[in-house]
Amino acid sequence: MESKPEVKVPVRLSTRDPSIQLAQEPGTLLVQTTLRRPQLSALVNNLLRPDEKPIPFDILINGQFLRTTIDEFLTKNGISAETTLDVEYTRALVPPLNVTSF
Amino acid sequence: HVHLSDASGLTPTTARALWLSHEASTHSLSQQLTESLRLILAPTLATKLRGDFRTGKRLNLKRIIPYIASSYKRDKIWLRRSLPSKRSYQVMIALDDSKSMAESGASNLALKTLTLVARSMAMLEVGEVAVTGFGDTVNVAHEFDKPFTSEAGMRVFEQFSFTQQKTDVRGLVHRSLDLFADARRRGSTSAGEDLWQLMLVVSDGICDSHSEIQRLVRRAQEERVMIVFVIIDSSVSVPTTTTAKQADGGKAEAVAEERKGIMDLQSVEISAEGKVVRWKYMERFPFRYFLVVRDVRELPGVLSGALRQWFGEVVGSV
Ligand SMILES: [Mg+2]
Repeated sequence: MESKPEVKVPVRLSTRDPSIQLAQEPGTLLVQTTLRRPQLSALVNNLLRPDEKPIPFDILINGQFLRTTIDEFLTKNGISAETTLDVEYTRALVPPLNVTSF
Repeated sequence: HVHLSDASGLTPTTARALWLSHEASTHSLSQQLTESLRLILAPTLATKLRGDFRTGKRLNLKRIIPYIASSYKRDKIWLRRSLPSKRSYQVMIALDDSKSMAESGASNLALKTLTLVARSMAMLEVGEVAVTGFGDTVNVAHEFDKPFTSEAGMRVFEQFSFTQQKTDVRGLVHRSLDLFADARRRGSTSAGEDLWQLMLVVSDGICDSHSEIQRLVRRAQEERVMIVFVIIDSSVSVPTTTTAKQADGGKAEAVAEERKGIMDLQSVEISAEGKVVRWKYMERFPFRYFLVVRDVRELPGVLSGALRQWFGEVVGSV
């Protein structure tokens, strides 16, 4: 944590699927911009069902599927880390290809 | 309403109107704060006995043994009652000009806070006021050696746009310590006066590089610059945007209505393997002295109370 300056961005989690709704609204969370889909999926699992087998989630930021790091996504879309991101999660329809890269 | 002219700041007309409106609405609060600060900054009435003199009021017992050991040559063994020293101050108000301020709705309350504090300091007339803006860079919006008039306030407002794409608090503290060192060297204070340097950061409180900031905060302490972080928490005034779709009626709605403020904000660290660690953001906030303001009316009481306590700590530790 000491090594390089780390940037965090505020996110707000939501889902349209009532079966995976968070029981307790966590409010705004600050997360590293270096994260990718699997880590954000892990975050949702940590909040939703910390003691059970994790469900893989797809992550959408402002309605677009996250395929890169958050940082790359922000750069590509001209968004700064000053903006609170709406992060939507859904059950991953296709099993992710590179599960082994965890 | 805040009308912005792109990234260049408020237009002169808007800045003027907004300044006058904030000045009027915070006038009595400014007076209240000025009175409290006057008491804090007043010279200590209880005088102290200080050494070392050849004649005086009372013997300094710590000097007796060396006096005898030096065959009565080191004869400055007396304490005298010293006069209370006058205090003057240099206050820098550093206002967060980053985009998160506008997005969270904190910018207007922040400008009001700036008006209130700058006006009270100017009314005290025993010191200097500077204003800086920070985001990805630091801008000196008002220098220490210029009087802070209403006209100056309007010109300061023109330099804020709340569109900067970063919140570099580390860079701010670093630059500010240089500005304070310059101001101290320039030294408009006369001999025998205590110069107090105070930095008030007005911000939504969201920033990175906490460990580096902590290091700089320690350096500030060594250089006797006191930094107070005023967190503008606008969570109450902003309507909730999260759409919590709870199936089970009224109780869940009440929970959803309750907005989470900065004190509830969580910071998360997720490892590449997906290990999640969460903590309350404010529990690891790098500034020792901070206060959270939700309404400008709270400010005179909260700020002067905190300053009284903290100045007491600083004076007591010297
Ligand atoms: Mg910011």
